[in-house]
Amino acid sequence: MKIQQTDVLVIGGGLAGQRTAVATRRRGLDTVILSLVPAKRSHSVAAQGGMQASLGNCAKGAGDNEDVHFEDTVRGSDWGCDQIVARMFCHMAPKAVRELAAWGVAWNRVAKGDREVVINGQKVVISEADAAHGLITARDFGGTKKWRTCHTSDGTGHAMLYAVSDRVIGEGIPVLERQEALALIHDGERCHGAVVRDLITGELSVFLARATVVATGGYGRLWGVSTNALINEGMGAALALETGVARLANMEAVQFHPTAIVPAGILVTEGCRGDGGLLLDADGHRFMPDYEPDKKELASRDVVSRRMAEHMRKGKGVRSPYGDHLWLDITGLGAAHIDRNLREVKDICQYFLGIDPARQPIPVRPTQHYSMGGIRTDYRGQSPWLAGLFACGEAACWDLHGFNRLGGNSVAETVVAGMLIGEYVADFCASPEGDLNFSTALARECLEREQASLAAMAAGRGGEDGVAIRRRMEAILTDSVGLFRNGPALESAVAELADLYRRSQRLAMANHGLDANPQLVQAYRLPRMLKLALTVAMGALARTESRGAHFREDFPARNDRDWLNRSLACWRGGEDLPRLDHEVLDVMFMELPPGFRGYGERNIIDHPHTALRQADVDDFREGETDRHKRQTHMMAFKQYLPVQYRGRNERLDERFS
Amino acid sequence: MNNAPPAPRPSPFSPFRRTSPWPARLDLLQSGSGLFLGLFMWAHMGFVSTILISPDAFWTVARFFEGYFIFGRPYPGLVSLVVALVFAVLVLHAFLALRKFPGDWTQYTVFWRHAGRLGHGDTRLWLLQVATGFAMFFLAPVHLYQMLVHPELIGPWESADRVWSGGFWPLYLVLLLAVELHGGVGLYRLAVKWIGFRDPASARRRLLFLKWGMTVFFLVLGLFSLAAYVKLGMDHADQAGERYRPVGVWNAPVQETRT
Amino acid sequence: MGRRLTLTVFRHNPREASSRPGTRDYVLDETPGMTLFVALGRIRDEQDPGLNFDFVCRAGVCGSCAMLINGRPGLACRTLTAALPERISLFPLPGFELIGDLSVNTGKWMRAMSERLRAWLHDAGDADPDRLEAPMEPATAEAIYELERCIECGCCVAGCGTAQMRPDFVGAVGLNKIARFHLDPRDVRSDADFYEVVGDDSGVFGCMSLLGCQDVCPKGLSLQTQIAWLRRTLARQGW
Repeated sequence: MKIQQTDVLVIGGGLAGQRTAVATRRRGLDTVILSLVPAKRSHSVAAQGGMQASLGNCAKGAGDNEDVHFEDTVRGSDWGCDQIVARMFCHMAPKAVRELAAWGVAWNRVAKGDREVVINGQKVVISEADAAHGLITARDFGGTKKWRTCHTSDGTGHAMLYAVSDRVIGEGIPVLERQEALALIHDGERCHGAVVRDLITGELSVFLARATVVATGGYGRLWGVSTNALINEGMGAALALETGVARLANMEAVQFHPTAIVPAGILVTEGCRGDGGLLLDADGHRFMPDYEPDKKELASRDVVSRRMAEHMRKGKGVRSPYGDHLWLDITGLGAAHIDRNLREVKDICQYFLGIDPARQPIPVRPTQHYSMGGIRTDYRGQSPWLAGLFACGEAACWDLHGFNRLGGNSVAETVVAGMLIGEYVADFCASPEGDLNFSTALARECLEREQASLAAMAAGRGGEDGVAIRRRMEAILTDSVGLFRNGPALESAVAELADLYRRSQRLAMANHGLDANPQLVQAYRLPRMLKLALTVAMGALARTESRGAHFREDFPARNDRDWLNRSLACWRGGEDLPRLDHEVLDVMFMELPPGFRGYGERNIIDHPHTALRQADVDDFREGETDRHKRQTHMMAFKQYLPVQYRGRNERLDERFS
Repeated sequence: MNNAPPAPRPSPFSPFRRTSPWPARLDLLQSGSGLFLGLFMWAHMGFVSTILISPDAFWTVARFFEGYFIFGRPYPGLVSLVVALVFAVLVLHAFLALRKFPGDWTQYTVFWRHAGRLGHGDTRLWLLQVATGFAMFFLAPVHLYQMLVHPELIGPWESADRVWSGGFWPLYLVLLLAVELHGGVGLYRLAVKWIGFRDPASARRRLLFLKWGMTVFFLVLGLFSLAAYVKLGMDHADQAGERYRPVGVWNAPVQETRT
Repeated sequence: MGRRLTLTVFRHNPREASSRPGTRDYVLDETPGMTLFVALGRIRDEQDPGLNFDFVCRAGVCGSCAMLINGRPGLACRTLTAALPERISLFPLPGFELIGDLSVNTGKWMRAMSERLRAWLHDAGDADPDRLEAPMEPATAEAIYELERCIECGCCVAGCGTAQMRPDFVGAVGLNKIARFHLDPRDVRSDADFYEVVGDDSGVFGCMSLLGCQDVCPKGLSLQTQIAWLRRTLARQGW
């Protein structure tokens, strides 16, 4: 049995995992990263438009600060997020951007003087201050009050991932590529590492670690058409679920991005609309102002996606062999702007659609994009049910995003969470709890179990067709657990997924190899994906309200009275279905009590405490003029941050002396 | 159990690993010697081709390089000096270029396969350069040695006799092809090697056009000149060895005819 | 429309003693807008579940799926079959360790290259993330991003005769990285430091300017420009 020991085992080589690893390495801990693919090929690379951080450097970002970012984030989440975490995040985001600037990200900068931009379809001249010249600029994104999205052209994720990966290489942190964790080693209370499969040789080994960090991204590939990379099959969340003790949260909170190209499902950035792009229907009519006269194309993603779907249901979609779609028109931005700031979009249009976006509109349709749900953790990133198991980034439900994530908050979350959770992991390792008292027997047992299971799968004695099961799962989720959901459809979805799950354990195999064998990989991932699909569908079925991206046609109201909570899913060993319960979000601790987001008609069943808390908060606001002190009165959060990150953020209008 | 910490990495500013300045020098020398040889060959072709104007014209050029029009009498040793210089540069260039040659059979086959499947002009041109360069290892020294020891035998009849009666024409034909192809590709390569073009695609298109234009021009010029020497050599075969007396140059020195 | 494609695909499992390198033909009907990603996916789903290949983003941004497409290195995910003849040959990217069939280990090569070239930004280490960031000229930032767009797909290495012949050559990907850090005012290294990592025949002076890199780079990076510039800059270190 091959056993490797390390202090910190990071599963997942994207931005969140790698940034965590840098933090723990710098704290002197042996850190190893496992990655399905070379780290620079992780899905973080696909983030295009940018990362939100309230620097307030550019003219349209002036006056921005953590408070404004916080409000946008909480509203965006439809009050489903953890407000402490949101506060920590908004406080950290400027530091993260600045750190990345020092690490080499070539953020686009403010150029002083006048420049022409497109806002609401009109050309407008804005004037940038001399003092801001050369500082990091920002673009507009949906659901935000200020221009806050820092970017490098439309390759922000690429630039960030390369900077962080390069830093990992510079720190000498090993990234073990093409390695897949198959199971977490645990004793029901403490996680001790993972059983890992080499995707090239098929060899299994054991990694024992004081802390295990899951940073494997989302589960978007459960839907057949998704903007996600093919590796985003939710395997990290499935590992946690299969422990039987750790829990997943808000799995039904799944974001659909308004603009993925048809049919390939490849994302074109929200920056297209942020920079002035418009959504048009089959008649060439700009329809968003009809639905959302205030924010129009730049409403929150869940709202825009739903409005688009609604509009297509009215027969206003453009017919195509691949189903209806709408148009994203960025021709008004001009070729020069597209060449400079939307070049990935241009490439995608050229290679996958054969069109020039400076001259032709882009066919788009809302498409699965982001998993707000994931492994439930506390603010330290640790599972409350399994010590030593941490999660961060999209794989986690740290709960920054609640039921809808703002564009630009996800890449920001990856690095911020990496910075913070890396420190907490290091603190954990330094504490008595962090000592590793493992038993090799436990490790051997776990490894042998996986080995036997793989051997049985490779033998392939069942008769089920894995490809067909997978396609069916994708179809069920797309049809019944998509933008619009309802009770009967969800019930039949759960029933059928449960059946598929049973069948997925008896797959036929044409290829019996135990090494690089794509069919074997499919065979062990498919049942796990179906487990996740069941947590998603059951979560959606249970949640009889509409919140953020979770929209129930049979329960269109947001119901704070009964559903201001977080869904939790746990899958006990030997059971056929996951168990659900719910964790309450306490209004009385909220800095921003639940309110109306301002989209469509107000349709909210209020929580009885909302008015009380609102009165408290209003009192605090009245009584204090200093925004920092006021904030501390309402909801103190800095005590949760590592000491070195508690400092205020300097801005042009908040200069340090 | 394997508990290997990440290996310590040498500091990027380690004082112990000062690298040699020689790779830079060698690269510059290879390019510089190539540039010199390439330009020299074009000029050389210009001089040689004056035979197409008239034997007198070529005679005048030849004597010019012997300092005849400065000192009043020819010093063939001057030509030997130039030849020695060119020879030395050629040896240097060949020595440096050898570094780039495929080193063993594997490298040959790898490159050959690569060039075959890629279908890429610039890559194929390099194979041409290797082949012609290799040919010149053997062809150029023959000619150069001749010029080094008998610089005085450069003249309309003298050269023509060497080409025809001396049986040098096949060597010159192959050498001509090798030199012009090698030099043209080499000079093009120098441009793309050292000049950072703002728009590499269009710059290369223009450079390649220019390169092929020059190659064709000098090849045609060279072939005509060689034909002229062959013709002259055939006509003069009976008197092979006789020194040329210019017709139209009024104060031409009388030279002894060697027997 | 309605073409029937024949894909001749390289098959080999280097870990299996009985496996011999060879090719296998797959026939399938072309569909509108079909890319090689779609085609290979269908082959795996319908004809040969054991076929190895690498796709991750399938959107042309991650660099996983580079392979030889009719002899030329390119990204399979964004290559439309309509742009190819009816017979398509697919081979793994040469110059990298073969994992199986069309899958090669570019990641390992790239990491080794990065370590050897110390291809990470060497900053002064004094930035305080609480304070305003150091200003940078907007044009400089854009110029750096131009070079940063490399996706480490390995096409330039597969398209480079020098790299094919000499496995220790860092390739355009490595030289472009050095050019990128050299351009960056935040990097404190001097020409001499950069010379130390690429100032030899496995670095910038090994480049024979065959320009295969420039011609196959899927991101259209100005590799010729960068290498020429680097050569001029570092040649000065000879004196």
